[in-house]
Amino acid sequence: MPVTLFLLHALGSSAREFSRLRDLLDGTVDVHGVDLPGFGALASASDSSLDATVDHVIDHLARHARGRWMLGGHSMGGKIAGLVASRVLRGEAPLVGLAGMVLMAPSPPRPEPMDEERRERMLSWVADGPISDQDAETFLTQNTAEPLDDAAHADAVADLRRTSPAAWRAWLETGSRVDASAEVGTLDLPVLVLAGTDDADLGAAAQPGLLSSVYPRARFVPLDDTGHLIPLERAPEASEAIARFVTDEVLLGPVVPDDWAALIAGDRVDARVRGILNLRAVPDDRGYAPAVLDLAQLTLLREIADLVVPQDGPAIDIAARVDAQLARGEGDGWRNADLPPDPEAYRAGLDTLAAVWPTDPAAREDVLRAAIEGTADAEGPLDPARVKLWLEDARNDLVRQWLAHPASMARLGYDGFATGGRPMRGYVELRLGRREEWEPAGVGGTVETGDAA
Amino acid sequence: MNIDAMRTFGTDETVDVVVVGTGAGGAPLTAELARKGLSVVAIEAGRHFALDDLTPDETAAVEINWMSERLSGGDDPTAFGPNNSGRGVGGSMLHWGAFTPRPDRRDLALRTETGEGRDWPVDPEELLAYVERVEGDIGVSGPSPYPWDPSRRYAYAPATRNAPANLVAKGCDALGVRWADAPAAVLTRARLQDHHGERGACVNCGECHQGCRTDAKASTANTYLPAAVAAGAEIRAEAMVHAIELDARGHVEAVVYRQHGVDVRQRCRSLVLAGGGVETPRLLLHTGLANANGQVGRNFLAHGATQVWGRFDEPVRGHRGYPSSLISEDMMRPADADFAGGYLVQSLGVMPLTFSTTLVRGGGLWGPELMQKLDQARFMAGIGINAECLPSDDNRLELVDETDEFGIPRARVSFTAGANEKAIDAHATAFMLRVMEAAGARETTVLARTAHTIGTCRMSADPSDGVVDADGRSHEIPNLWICDNSVFPSAIAANPALTIMALSLRTADRFLSSAA
Repeated sequence: MPVTLFLLHALGSSAREFSRLRDLLDGTVDVHGVDLPGFGALASASDSSLDATVDHVIDHLARHARGRWMLGGHSMGGKIAGLVASRVLRGEAPLVGLAGMVLMAPSPPRPEPMDEERRERMLSWVADGPISDQDAETFLTQNTAEPLDDAAHADAVADLRRTSPAAWRAWLETGSRVDASAEVGTLDLPVLVLAGTDDADLGAAAQPGLLSSVYPRARFVPLDDTGHLIPLERAPEASEAIARFVTDEVLLGPVVPDDWAALIAGDRVDARVRGILNLRAVPDDRGYAPAVLDLAQLTLLREIADLVVPQDGPAIDIAARVDAQLARGEGDGWRNADLPPDPEAYRAGLDTLAAVWPTDPAAREDVLRAAIEGTADAEGPLDPARVKLWLEDARNDLVRQWLAHPASMARLGYDGFATGGRPMRGYVELRLGRREEWEPAGVGGTVETGDAA
Repeated sequence: MNIDAMRTFGTDETVDVVVVGTGAGGAPLTAELARKGLSVVAIEAGRHFALDDLTPDETAAVEINWMSERLSGGDDPTAFGPNNSGRGVGGSMLHWGAFTPRPDRRDLALRTETGEGRDWPVDPEELLAYVERVEGDIGVSGPSPYPWDPSRRYAYAPATRNAPANLVAKGCDALGVRWADAPAAVLTRARLQDHHGERGACVNCGECHQGCRTDAKASTANTYLPAAVAAGAEIRAEAMVHAIELDARGHVEAVVYRQHGVDVRQRCRSLVLAGGGVETPRLLLHTGLANANGQVGRNFLAHGATQVWGRFDEPVRGHRGYPSSLISEDMMRPADADFAGGYLVQSLGVMPLTFSTTLVRGGGLWGPELMQKLDQARFMAGIGINAECLPSDDNRLELVDETDEFGIPRARVSFTAGANEKAIDAHATAFMLRVMEAAGARETTVLARTAHTIGTCRMSADPSDGVVDADGRSHEIPNLWICDNSVFPSAIAANPALTIMALSLRTADRFLSSAA
């Protein structure tokens, strides 16, 4: 099933601006444009404030987002996408499955850099009602590097003309000026940022400065001879970049099964827990730069991880997650007195094993077994007894990182995280072989029905 | 806990008592001394946790545990962190399992009975009277009558038996072993707790060890500490005591703690240490006090806590419900024992990360075998023990050169099971295997572990072989007291929290009568 990309449109536009991307990505990415209040089919909506728009998008996603999905936006839609994504990753929306973002010439969470004269001029276009044909033409000329093709041009003019003047004003006067950087915070997930080299304040040159602190994993892709209207101007190039991004960075790791995702999204799970689980389900960074280990050590730890916690399907990069855990200084509250502190033990243990680690994958298991049993035939920073002790810690860290992922919890049939809500709900059915109706069928057991239930 | 109206003391004031630690050792005494009109400041290293701060997520829930590294050595290194060490207002009672067997009179006089271990210099009847008071103060559920003590009554009906408990019951029945619903400090109906408000009934979420989110499980944060605050005590959270100052006579006159990066000195007339079996001796060794006889840190004790897991045909899903809802005391003195003392038996449900850690560390598993056991986890029910541990001079806590985030040397605890511990473990493992097989387990897995941090500042009548006297007062420094599980002369088989709280009330009375 192709991954879905929900896209939020720019000021004066509508979901229709993404129809070319949708056609080009058909079969790879399911592009799903969303009309925002005051625009497109929702031009008559009364509340176009940022808050109402975010709520509208969350409602829309709650009805349509299933499995693994991405969120993105163009210009104004980029700022809204950031606000929605932050709510999702904090668990404050009934949503599960966000795996990446695609931003096109996005307005940043901070106040959008905008020439004040230009703002005033654009506001004057709606002083006496909807935007005129002539002002629409002016807008398109100012925002494109080259003229649009006829169909795109006609769509864009029609969208501008049907835009609610109140919504136009709400963005220019308020929405674009709101500083949402604290609310959005830092969103550590795969992000593709497309920007035109001929765009002004939100162009390719400006975006890294606007977004690097918000999206540490952002991959910035400049589009030559492109203005601000990327989905209309550069649909083929944009769709190619999106397809590459999805393959490289988004379709990684396990997917939480639908019934489990619905449980996590539901009101038995508290926001904090949902946020924790959503963050863990974000695809790993394929280009993860280790913070405690060096690249060779991380590679070896990944090979050890494959043996200690063999993963059947798409794998979680538990070795990278252990490196990140070490970098945060998190352990389990104790260590064997014969070992140095965790980061040092990991480096020393890996360096010791590296000396005897076979290049032939089939030969690795025996070497690891010997090391785990304390008979490693290696001379290095740690003697065999310490290699054994360190590997006990490493095995424990690796399996805990694996098990903390919601897809692993689903595999084990563990739904104890769904004991929240107000009032808090625990379990009513504690018996062997039984489950409750709210529990995913995969946990096993039968639901008791009838008078005795 | 509501501390909006809490009385506070100035650091220029000399308060009657400073208590270090707000868990089972510190809190009952704090409440009792404040109620008698003394000015008391309880200093706690951790922070306050509201019910909404607690989370069922095992990884995130370690915020209620003492995660600053401890070093563990010996042949049987014991695990700290989430296994037994708390941090926060409420101490280890934030994460404890609420399993509340009473201390067995025989365990308190083990030396007299067997010639092994130590007798407690405490009258068992006196201690048990305090135990009953604690049960009333915190609310304990359990069966009435209690099979091994027919006169005993519990105020609340037992927690609902979960699937592991029913399976262990089946195994016990088949073998003729007596079992009962476990005594647990978990409310099975709501209760209005004095000075705190309503504590809800248990909702069977199974997440006692991650911190109870309904207040059904008793902690000092929903019992003794609100009472202490109501009586005028101050709780100073996020404050790590790292120095103790003496006056010219060699009496404690102040403690120094670091709070939000600033060192603060609090003067006091008396000091009570209640940081538990690791932090109390660590502070004394760091300050070099009360240790002329070299006894501080000696005789570290850990309960044998081996588990046997059986795999059954139907899903057990033991993460549901109160985890240890069945007890048997039949093995407290087994007829065929080749050891001193005995062990308590309980049924076990478990959370997945905790179980995986036990599989890795206690079972030595990895690879396909580990993954298979994890996949089978939902079909597994457990049985476990809490076993007597005899004091040994080889098992001790010392300081190492490496320091923690406060510059205090870290603790290294060495623990090696002795012949008696090994004999109990062998007996218990065989017994547990029989029970699980009789219950119908298709396959069994034995997982070794130890639990609890006990001893290190033991109570002794003879000043030469302990740290505190029978009242809990230092043999050396007359206004220094210790009130936690570090003073236990022997481990006793009962899980420690109930006994610690009883000792805390007793120490408060001894303190008051010594001052009178």
